[in-house]
Amino acid sequence: MTPELHTIPGHRAVETLVAKLRRRQVVGSREAALETALVLRQVVSKARFSNIQQLITVIREVGRRLAEAQPKEHSVGNTVRRVLHNVREEYNSATKGSAAASRNVYSISKFVLQGQPRKHTANAAKSDARITLKENDADDPDSFARALKPVLMEAIQDVLDELETVYDNVSKNAKDHIHSDEIILTIGHSKTVEAFLKSAGHYRNYTVIVAETAPSYQGHEMARSLSASGISTFLVPDSSIFAIMSRVNKVILGAHAILANGGLFAISGSLLAATAARAHSTPVVVCAGQFKLTPLWNLYHEHGALDFADPSSVLGFEEGKLVERVDVVNPYYDYVGPELVDVFITNDGDHPPSSVYRLIKETYDDDDHEL
Amino acid sequence: MAPGPMLDVHPPAGPPNGEPSTGQQKSQKAMTKAERRELQEKQRAAKAAKAAANGAPGKPSGKPKDQGAPQGGAAKPKPSRASDAQARPTLPAATRATEKAKAGQASMAVDTAAKGTQARGLLIFSHFGLPKPVSAAKGDIHPAIARLALQFSTFKITGANARCIATLTAFKTIIQDYVTPPNHTLSRHLMTYLSPQISHLVAARPMSVTMGNAIRQLKLDISGTDFDLPEQDAKDALCRKIDTYIRERIIIADQVIQETASNKIKDGDVILTYARSSVVEKVLLEAHASGRNFSVIVVDSRPMLEGKRLVAVLSEAGIQCTYLLLPALGAVMSEVSTVFVGAHSIHTNGAVYSRAGTALVAMMAKRHSVPVVVCCETYKFSESIQLDSFTKNELGQSLSAYSLLPSD
Repeated sequence: MTPELHTIPGHRAVETLVAKLRRRQVVGSREAALETALVLRQVVSKARFSNIQQLITVIREVGRRLAEAQPKEHSVGNTVRRVLHNVREEYNSATKGSAAASRNVYSISKFVLQGQPRKHTANAAKSDARITLKENDADDPDSFARALKPVLMEAIQDVLDELETVYDNVSKNAKDHIHSDEIILTIGHSKTVEAFLKSAGHYRNYTVIVAETAPSYQGHEMARSLSASGISTFLVPDSSIFAIMSRVNKVILGAHAILANGGLFAISGSLLAATAARAHSTPVVVCAGQFKLTPLWNLYHEHGALDFADPSSVLGFEEGKLVERVDVVNPYYDYVGPELVDVFITNDGDHPPSSVYRLIKETYDDDDHEL
Repeated sequence: MAPGPMLDVHPPAGPPNGEPSTGQQKSQKAMTKAERRELQEKQRAAKAAKAAANGAPGKPSGKPKDQGAPQGGAAKPKPSRASDAQARPTLPAATRATEKAKAGQASMAVDTAAKGTQARGLLIFSHFGLPKPVSAAKGDIHPAIARLALQFSTFKITGANARCIATLTAFKTIIQDYVTPPNHTLSRHLMTYLSPQISHLVAARPMSVTMGNAIRQLKLDISGTDFDLPEQDAKDALCRKIDTYIRERIIIADQVIQETASNKIKDGDVILTYARSSVVEKVLLEAHASGRNFSVIVVDSRPMLEGKRLVAVLSEAGIQCTYLLLPALGAVMSEVSTVFVGAHSIHTNGAVYSRAGTALVAMMAKRHSVPVVVCCETYKFSESIQLDSFTKNELGQSLSAYSLLPSD
């Protein structure tokens, strides 16, 4: 009963994004997540449905297509799951009152503040905002959609808002993680890490060492940007990571996707930095938005899960005959295992790798892990 | 052995007069953060200039050529956002790169004087000094040494073996050209003639352990020369001893390593090596020549990218090669059966001193339980102890880090 794509409202926007993802015109996990949320908002606003199941089927179908367009861009699927989760939540709270909303109380991120979950007794008086919903109304099939759409739009807007403020929220506690006179090592050019370091730069004087991260050399950009905002910055070749590690206080990495086991995909070279940090017992901090949490496990197929980039930046055609005879490997991501990470700093608080699975359970619905 | 260059990338400051002068009129509180910073910077510059004028003693890099630098250098480490934005697009990349090489030196002098905010960051690198241009030959430097020093300092000759052989060959020429002055004996005087030559080489690039060991042996040979020997005979004898040293300690040692190490390669093995070691190259070629079927993964890293040469040689010989840069190492390590690396020196505590990045390769190999084989001749053994790669090390060329950048 999966609907054909052309019957889906707003299918043109979907097709456009699919093409863009495929051609890698949309790259970077936040960019992809934002685009996905925008497309989903369009789809939901145009969708015709008379019960929640129909709507969910439509969103899923769109999500499946988007995720298939670029399977390594995990944030696309994550955004779809997040939207589905929010849609269900709104639906549940609209139909069953605040029963669903009280689930949040058990959130692991609030556990420290609120202590053990207690029975809720004072939630009876909260039913004033209920919308009268009638599913599968034969007389007026659109009544359900009409009644529910405003709250659904709000739910999707929440996802968008979260994506837009993600850098600020991740970096709001930066000064608690970076202290004066510390030496921080980072690799690549993660926007989240950049915002984090700059935010800490307002409060602290510290030094950043950026590894240049061959072959994309994103480290150059990062170093330029950091030093432009007044942070003392050093750029070093990747080969000196180990030598410098003995003087580094903290390693801060960006992530492409955070997996359910607490491991992550990050720009290639991250594994070297994280392993070197472990060898020197230097803490490894990962800065990432919540939208990078991915309900995937990557325990066995490390190599196959990597994305391979253009080899010409490693060994170009200017090498002549060599190009024909030599295999060149240029993976874009490294898989960094959970044992190498000390903490994830997200826009939803700081978490150890061991509780990531729990965060994922709270963020997404179990039914959506396979889109 | 030579770590890659460590650059600080403080972008060059805008023109000194580009700073708005309004900052000083406002009260400290009314100023924006950038303005306050600028003011601070100015004060610091003034202080540094004063200190420089007074010739403040005890500065770590108080060489004459640094004295002029602080004025310009003061604004360099922390340019305000505004002045930086103006300055950057107008400056061509080349000048930026040269600026950078000097920035460290200049700002270090400033910061130690002014207790600058980033003195800490710079101080951890301060013991390295900075690669300096080859100084004009002081005193009586033999042309062979002058040329060799230039080749060392520009990294035209690299690698412990190559540098040792080149040095010894140059010494042979010197010894042949040497004439004992009247009233001196060769065994006493030759060394005093050689010492300034050696210091000239060391000024160009810190002496390698191999050169140190070879020179020590040479000194011993010189002092042991018979007084009664005619001068030419004595010189010939010394040259023969040098030849013997090169042959026995380096060339034959390499052949022995080739035999032993190539036996460690089995059919179907995947060998990983880092950068380019002359011994490892010979080992791999020998194993291939003896009919073993294996493939090689060459891991490489900027700034020297020596692995490209190795890949060219190996693939020319018909060995199946894979080439990748250091950050991609994690993706292939699980397939590797043995890692072969060369060494610059081996220390008494067992530490291996080798091309920057070797530690990362060895670390990853250990994590994947892959054996690591170091190919090292015994003349590379050093009596010192090395605990980490930070305390005693040298810096590579810093300019190449930017100038080689493909996309910049």
